[in-house]
Amino acid sequence: MSHLLKNLEKLGRRASALAEAVRSATGSVLSLTPSREGSVTAKCGGRWVHSSYDPRKEAHSWANAQLKEWKDDEVGVVLGVGLLYHVESLALLKPGSRRLAVIIPDVSVLKDALGARPLGSWPETIEWIWGEPADMARHLADFGKPLRFMTYAPAAGLHEAVHREMEASLRRMVASRQGGQLRIAVVGPIYGGSLPIARYVTSALESLGHRVIWIDHSVHHTSYEQFNGYGDVRHRLTMQGRFAELLSLDTVARLAEDPPDLVLAIAQAPLTAGVLAHVRKKKFLTAMWFVENYRHLPYWRQLASSYDCWFVIQRGDCIEALRKAGASHVHYLPMAADPQVFYPTSLTETEQCEYGADVSFVGAGYQNRRVLLPRWLSPEWTFKLWGNEWEGAAELASVLQRGGARIDTEICRKVFNASTINLNLHSYNGPSLDPQADFVNPRTFELAVCGGFQLADERALLPELFSEQEIVRFRSPEEVPQLIRRWLHDREARGAVAEAARRRALTQHTYRHRMEDLLAVIGLRQPDRIGAVLRGDRNAGALAARAETPPELETLLSRFPRDQRVELKDVADSIRARGAGRRLAREELLILLLDSYRSETRDFV
Amino acid sequence: MARTLVVQLARLGDLIQTIPAITALKMADQTRELDLLCPSALAPIGRLIPGVDRVLEWDGAVWRRWADDASAGVLPTHLEQAEKQLEALATHRYGTAYVLNQHCRALLAGSLLADEVKGPLLDGPLGTTMAPWASYVRDVAHTGRGCRVHLADAFCGLCGVLPPGRPPVLKKSSCRLPPTLDQIGRRGEPWIGLLVGAGAAERLVPTEIWKTWVVRFLESAPAGRIVLLGEERERGRRIQDLLPSSLLGRIWDITGRTSLLELVSVLGRCHAVIGSDTGPLHLAAAVGVKVFGWYFARARVHETGPYGPGHLVWQAVEEMEADKAERSNVRPARWPIEASIAAMLEGEMKKTAGWSVWMSRYDRWGAYYTEVSGRFGPPSERERLWRELSPSITEGSVVGAA
Repeated sequence: MSHLLKNLEKLGRRASALAEAVRSATGSVLSLTPSREGSVTAKCGGRWVHSSYDPRKEAHSWANAQLKEWKDDEVGVVLGVGLLYHVESLALLKPGSRRLAVIIPDVSVLKDALGARPLGSWPETIEWIWGEPADMARHLADFGKPLRFMTYAPAAGLHEAVHREMEASLRRMVASRQGGQLRIAVVGPIYGGSLPIARYVTSALESLGHRVIWIDHSVHHTSYEQFNGYGDVRHRLTMQGRFAELLSLDTVARLAEDPPDLVLAIAQAPLTAGVLAHVRKKKFLTAMWFVENYRHLPYWRQLASSYDCWFVIQRGDCIEALRKAGASHVHYLPMAADPQVFYPTSLTETEQCEYGADVSFVGAGYQNRRVLLPRWLSPEWTFKLWGNEWEGAAELASVLQRGGARIDTEICRKVFNASTINLNLHSYNGPSLDPQADFVNPRTFELAVCGGFQLADERALLPELFSEQEIVRFRSPEEVPQLIRRWLHDREARGAVAEAARRRALTQHTYRHRMEDLLAVIGLRQPDRIGAVLRGDRNAGALAARAETPPELETLLSRFPRDQRVELKDVADSIRARGAGRRLAREELLILLLDSYRSETRDFV
Repeated sequence: MARTLVVQLARLGDLIQTIPAITALKMADQTRELDLLCPSALAPIGRLIPGVDRVLEWDGAVWRRWADDASAGVLPTHLEQAEKQLEALATHRYGTAYVLNQHCRALLAGSLLADEVKGPLLDGPLGTTMAPWASYVRDVAHTGRGCRVHLADAFCGLCGVLPPGRPPVLKKSSCRLPPTLDQIGRRGEPWIGLLVGAGAAERLVPTEIWKTWVVRFLESAPAGRIVLLGEERERGRRIQDLLPSSLLGRIWDITGRTSLLELVSVLGRCHAVIGSDTGPLHLAAAVGVKVFGWYFARARVHETGPYGPGHLVWQAVEEMEADKAERSNVRPARWPIEASIAAMLEGEMKKTAGWSVWMSRYDRWGAYYTEVSGRFGPPSERERLWRELSPSITEGSVVGAA
């Protein structure tokens, strides 16, 4: 009997439908060839899927590296099939109690693997997950356990798109099951571009029904600015550094006064590694949404291991770099827009006259913009330039509005609405388009939800967010004048594109969506803590309905609305409010005792 | 007869100051079976307290961990595991629990383990009416002015018994010292235990001052030896670093290297103990060693001086009020180095500016301190207070005599 038949028999005992699908698959995706050491190895599209020297040895060291991170209560999920050497190693090395699942994006690859070599009995211990991305996501979500994704990159790279789609489905699935209320502390920066994002995040979380503790450090901006007055730069840096440390401590004190389930820091939040270590020691879950270009602001290196979860606006190298720097969980979370702040606006004639133009650009005077924007001026169209930091840009002086003053969000929205074509050129400190153009800026989304028509420079991550029918993009500076000519006088076509972008943004790219995704990721990682709260398992009704809930606790829980999240503190407060002078039930005493330990915060600061 | 439980969940000093109450409870009824609930870290000391039949170890870390788990939402499993812990702790229910801490946690633990709770609150763990002795202790703690009743005796009042009439001492520890510590107390005399640390930063004596004390003492006592004691290994090392190498052969630094029981044994081998760390000072007194205490910051001699007769305490006072020992939060500018050495070696009492000196005594109302340079005699307000706060037990015969 061939390897394939024998292996299919074993697989059939564990997953008969999958075995049947493999039987009917065509296979031959991988090219099999002997390795130097003698065992079979594989290539795909000219690239090695396993080591050409010793695939077993390579798989063994991969599996050992995964085992170091994999915790007892997590379900291991392998991405990447290949010839299954890595899965085999992991299955043989792992403790027996751990569950290991393998994602099968293409049954033909599995057919190649099963036909390549004899497999022992270990395939019978694996949970084989296959089907459409959404089906696979549902399977994973139903585990109800923290998932540890383990990517065998050479094989996973063959099905990157499927994995991404599955991951997105998984996040949406978990997000859709969110019904509970978390208490989330959002820690904002002192100033800068991430400050408005912290505000959008706060209102998005509130709109999702969570209680947000907004730790707003922007109130200290004036004091922080005062330190700019020092003549000696060392004095300024020292004072600003110390000031940021003080604000870091202020954050801890605020957390101690109203302990949250999750501390969500937005880029530039003044939290030091020392304070973060303290916060994590106190069992707070911490996350950072790093809404910055990781190449420009490299301070993440010092903080990588200080947060439980990182969310970044870049993929690939960025995620890899953070992991190498010590971050244990890094996830891609693109920017978004707040439709309460940016929306289609009817302008008066005066406003239209003031903010309108054939072509406009809103943004700061980065080098690429100083070089490229003058090339896009033309007598064929009117042009207005809005924003600050344009000092010395003589060629743009005639189009610069308000003398290069900083403009607020409201004016921004009006300009987006009033302009026929909004140019969206991502910032870059070089003379042309960003050669490492990956992340998509907030303006892309803000323009979209405003219903503004935009011409954007192409970004590696743009296609998965907006199609070419939703946002028109350019790949070289030379294309821009032609594109302006093409779209300037075609009102109907512009309208259709802008409306499509708006629809997409409203259905997929608001901060509400991002926060749902972010919480879904954290909920998956922490199914017993954050996940349980999000699912509503900690609501009074759900708690009271549990079979093992004693009648006394049920009575206590019945005092709360069924859909209200009930914490230890709430139950204890309720007992205290009714307790004086009467004999307390045993359950009440136990709850008060536990609560006395919960409320210990004296060594927090 | 139903068993009795004494609940003391605070620190070492509080546990030691609970000994008179335990002794008095046992004296009031010799047949009473009496158990003690104390933090698990202090359980070895609890087992040395005369009159205690069984020690229940309270593991605060476990409760804290459960509280962390339960904080996001209390589940039936949280209550189940807490209940199991209590079942493992006490196999039967107690008739009465005497709770000696004002913290609600101790009252809750007492309520969970016993049918009746006698403690700081008269109307249950959520009550607001304080027992008279609890009110007294709280007022002393808040105002910093005491009526001269020692905290250990106030604990007796809280339990409804008079002080035991003689200061109790701990049972001998059967703990054998390792060979490295076994030499302590063997050759040379006197051996002085020096407590290098303190329970709070504001009660620390600077290491420079201890260094000076050690140098002067060893100069004055050519056969004398010093044992550096406490948990603060770094401070012990720093004191040694400051000392001339010629003296190091007479110094035993065992900071951070002893268990509680080993500490009891080492204290028992010393002729005297000096320091500002009230917990181990109480322990030394309970072992029967003469104690020389430096009390400043929040430490006050009248409430928490070492229990029993013959101990000396230097209390830091504002220089303007050098005759009073009731001031708190005084940070000394000078230290009673010469005075304490003279008292230790020659029994001579020298004055030190900024400090008053007090000697402990004992009578039927418990321990009290009198100023060495002042009049000799027990302060009368103690008896008045006992009669006011415990009229029922002071009406009849009283136990013991000075």
